[in-house]
Amino acid sequence: MAVQDEDADLVRAVIAGDDEAFAELVRRHKGAILRSAARFARNHAELEDLGQETFLRAYRDLRSFRGEAPFGHWLSRITVRVCYDALRNRRREEKDVSLDALAAPVADPSTENGPSAQQARLILDRAMSRLKPEDRLVITLFELEDRSVREVAEMTGWSETLVKVRAFRARAALKRSIGGDDER
Amino acid sequence: MNDKRHDRRDEYLDLLFARGRQAPPDVSGVERNFETRVMARIREWREPWYAWAWRLAPVLLALTVLLAGWSMLYPPVHPADPVTALASVNQEVALVDYLAGE
Repeated sequence: MAVQDEDADLVRAVIAGDDEAFAELVRRHKGAILRSAARFARNHAELEDLGQETFLRAYRDLRSFRGEAPFGHWLSRITVRVCYDALRNRRREEKDVSLDALAAPVADPSTENGPSAQQARLILDRAMSRLKPEDRLVITLFELEDRSVREVAEMTGWSETLVKVRAFRARAALKRSIGGDDER
Repeated sequence: MNDKRHDRRDEYLDLLFARGRQAPPDVSGVERNFETRVMARIREWREPWYAWAWRLAPVLLALTVLLAGWSMLYPPVHPADPVTALASVNQEVALVDYLAGE
């Protein structure tokens, strides 16, 4: 039996009242969902919250899953919405961040061998924290999750044109950020 | 000159993204028993509002015991019964009237 059919069967079982079936769905998809949410979380506690919120919303809205797309895709869309909400809330919390801290360049592009994977993630995390939530969401899905424009549009519910505009804007802001503001 | 710098930043950003993709975030710590915690959260969410009332039972019981103890230690002081007091005054007045021949 295909994974997709098995998922659909499990969803039907959950709707019929079988909680263990939902636990099985969580077991099957937690890895992908948590890896995706981890691109937006600042620490493990926040990742735990994002993951739990995703599955709680999925459980609550399970009847709206029609089975036309794989369950994993449906779950990914919920993850994107949960992470976007978290980014927007965080933005409100971080409005008091010092302007001096935001103005400092985060990396030197002239580094000889380039950064390690770990360093790259840290540099990107810091630079991306300055982006608008919608721009950060798009550039993360597009560049780090390697999704196509169409996929990003489907996941976010925004038009492909809007996704392209936001990706372009985010990229331009990141370029300014990683090299300081001397270009202006 | 500016174009060159622009190109270098593009290349650097692409390098950062490529390295970022190479190292997917480590989620093993959160993944462990994650389904158990999710199911606990779902059970909590499904609980009806009155289920919370049972959680207050120990607090209410403790409060009852405290009040009972308080009332036993400090019994209320009853003031004199006003009706009885009035009746006794009336009796005295009637006796005085009788003795005075009124």
